[in-house]
Amino acid sequence: MSSLPFAGIHVLDFTWYAVGPVTTKYLADYGADVVRIESAARPDGLRNAPPWKDAEPGINNSQFFASFNTSKRGLALDMSKPRARELFLKMLPWADVVTESFTPKTLRNWGLDYESMRAVKPDLIMLSTCMQGQTGPHRDYPGFGNLMAALSGFYHISGYSEAEPCPPYGAYTDFIAPRFSVCALIAALDHRRRTGKGQYIDMAQYEASLHHLAPMLVDYFATGRVLGPVGNRSDRYAPHGAYRCADEDGHERWIAIAVADDAEWKSLIAVMGNPADDARFATTIGRFRNRASLDEYVGSLVRDRNADELTVALQAGGVSAYPVQNCMDLHRDENLEAFGFWQWLDHKEMGPSPYEGLEHRMSRTPGGPQRPAPTLGQHSDEVLSEILGLTAAAIEELKREKVVY
Amino acid sequence: MRSELLNGVRMLDLTDEKGALCGKMFADMGAEVIKIEPPQGCPSRKIPPFLDDQPGLDNSLHFLAFQAGKRSVTLNLESADGRELLQELVKRSDFIVEAFPIGYLESIGLGYETLAELNPRIVHTSITPFGDKGPAKDYKAADIVSWASGGAMFMMGEEGKPPLQMSVPQAWLHAGAEAAVSSMIAHYARQLDGLGQHIVVNAQACGVWTLMNEQAMPLLHGDYLRRSGVFSGAIGGRRKTVYQCMDGHVSFIIAGGPYFNSTKAVIAWMNEENAAPEWLKGEGGLKTLTPSGFMAATAADLKELDDTEEAVQRFFLTKTKKELWENILKRRLFGAPLANAADIAADPQLKAREYFVTVDHAGLGRQFTLPGAFAKMSETPVGPQGAAPQLGEHDHEVYGGLLGLSNTEIIALRAAGVI
Repeated sequence: MSSLPFAGIHVLDFTWYAVGPVTTKYLADYGADVVRIESAARPDGLRNAPPWKDAEPGINNSQFFASFNTSKRGLALDMSKPRARELFLKMLPWADVVTESFTPKTLRNWGLDYESMRAVKPDLIMLSTCMQGQTGPHRDYPGFGNLMAALSGFYHISGYSEAEPCPPYGAYTDFIAPRFSVCALIAALDHRRRTGKGQYIDMAQYEASLHHLAPMLVDYFATGRVLGPVGNRSDRYAPHGAYRCADEDGHERWIAIAVADDAEWKSLIAVMGNPADDARFATTIGRFRNRASLDEYVGSLVRDRNADELTVALQAGGVSAYPVQNCMDLHRDENLEAFGFWQWLDHKEMGPSPYEGLEHRMSRTPGGPQRPAPTLGQHSDEVLSEILGLTAAAIEELKREKVVY
Repeated sequence: MRSELLNGVRMLDLTDEKGALCGKMFADMGAEVIKIEPPQGCPSRKIPPFLDDQPGLDNSLHFLAFQAGKRSVTLNLESADGRELLQELVKRSDFIVEAFPIGYLESIGLGYETLAELNPRIVHTSITPFGDKGPAKDYKAADIVSWASGGAMFMMGEEGKPPLQMSVPQAWLHAGAEAAVSSMIAHYARQLDGLGQHIVVNAQACGVWTLMNEQAMPLLHGDYLRRSGVFSGAIGGRRKTVYQCMDGHVSFIIAGGPYFNSTKAVIAWMNEENAAPEWLKGEGGLKTLTPSGFMAATAADLKELDDTEEAVQRFFLTKTKKELWENILKRRLFGAPLANAADIAADPQLKAREYFVTVDHAGLGRQFTLPGAFAKMSETPVGPQGAAPQLGEHDHEVYGGLLGLSNTEIIALRAAGVI
């Protein structure tokens, strides 16, 4: 195939922050023409969030924004102005897909709900993604993926004990929902290809994210058991946890280890140089019965070892293990390197900066970042002249009136 | 009723836990997903915890949750008959997804090249812990090990204590969902030119994609984030994210930027109830907090935020989880209770949207309630298509119906340990 799978697919993208932009990034990285429509008055909040190039704040300097918006074009409109909404409606016939991630009332207030857009573009596919969905008593709940991670149960099951919660990092559910929403979008595009019908996709981050907790919910409904945090304890592996290794240049290093059976345990002990083996741990029953002291024992065995070298030795012995990588380690990780994960793209204002690549690789239609993220309004002129045939003078006037930026 | 979205599409699911969610998402979208298990059963049937704490091939909660709506056939790939049956299935399928060690399928003569000769349309998705090229390509990775490799674990937990995983392991779910996405992209490409391809999913890289953009901090700002319990150091700040209340915990954040209005509103609420300390009373409240930018910039700002957090913590201790949630909704605060399974099951929002779906498990003679549609699609509703299958439940249907084997042949294959 000479071009990417979504070449020729046009997306008008109102989404902001994470879930929507990461969703449309998949389409853009595989060839769709995704036009990010940003309000100049209220630009994407990630533009105001670090990390910034050279740690310098600036609307076009955020890597946080850049990483989620590769391969897209940027159009800046002031959607609070009627003329901007007229421009949008004129562009609509060009689009195959419209996406948005505001709270439900925003687009309705602009007179741009699905029904009114469908009157202009009958086979339109539209994705609305918000916290709790377009219907129901809590539909207008605003928030971010960190709050949703609390509301959908991830915080409750995170910690050493119920009294000592330790939430997962960041806006966790923001990074669950996109894989569901992009599957829905691609399948909807395929369905439209087969049937000629568009559709409306009402995506609640809440409802997608609960799929990552399905066993806990099945259990509760079937038996009434309420899962709480169990630290790193497993009923399947012992030992199972993170154990501190030797520090490196003053930085703490840990290794994650999971031992499934006696053979793996024997391997681990052999890698440790066959210390005077503690008979308590020789059998599965012994290891599970004495989990707390087992953790201490393994901790004492690995405390002076180098985490990387120990990983190689344990894996050679068939034991599941890897260093607990920090964000700096990830940039030196040989396996991410071998996968070609990190990519440096030359952004218009930031210059070369570090982007994450895809977490998969395709043999025949390899995708990936096609170009760096747009600056605010970087392609306003280009998009308006290309899609609407506006002259330079007309665009200038729209800019004077602060409709276009 | 089967969703129309992917109706007519067939996926062969040879994964264990490492890819369970991929086939589940396809089944929810209406694809026919045939789970191919070794005759003794997929290892994921043995993942604890179990229903009623009773181990048994049908009782793993992981299996009940993530195999729902699939069909199950048994197949011994170590036998020549088994390999031939798989080839026949591949000829009649659109997708094959697996998570074997790198090179295993080639070693039994069923690598992608062979499968593509049998069926050039096939999309073959391989789920791996570390990709297929680096020094760790043959490594084993239990979920916690994959979680550690992608960077999320290091940042979760208390300083000085071990890094943590969540109590429902997450790493392989991200990889499974990524397998679904990439398979769908390849599916779309195939509809255009009729050709399939081979995909390699890298679970470690999936882990990195849960880190927001923290992974760029060391390169751009010069340091990496340490874990700090309930304090979030995400993207440059250090804010308290979990507050105690009378009967549990809530998540709440005092900050500027998008949290500015919410921060103002909680102070206003404290003032209404005469619960604000003297310096937070009256107009203005917080003096240095700015509506732009996530994070306050100066030391004075940070001191003020710390002091506000303390005041809010004292206030929340006088409230129940329920009261706080009602006020979060009413006052449009950026907060949320730390909900547990019981709270989620009773949530009026999920009820209003008829989210949870109950399916019948004939073999166990029980009903199970599952997370429902991951999205509401107006033309092609999606959602659970049924309960998890029993081992080999669909042997006859698939080998007899789809491949046209006679009853005698099926009995012979069973006797020979092939199925």
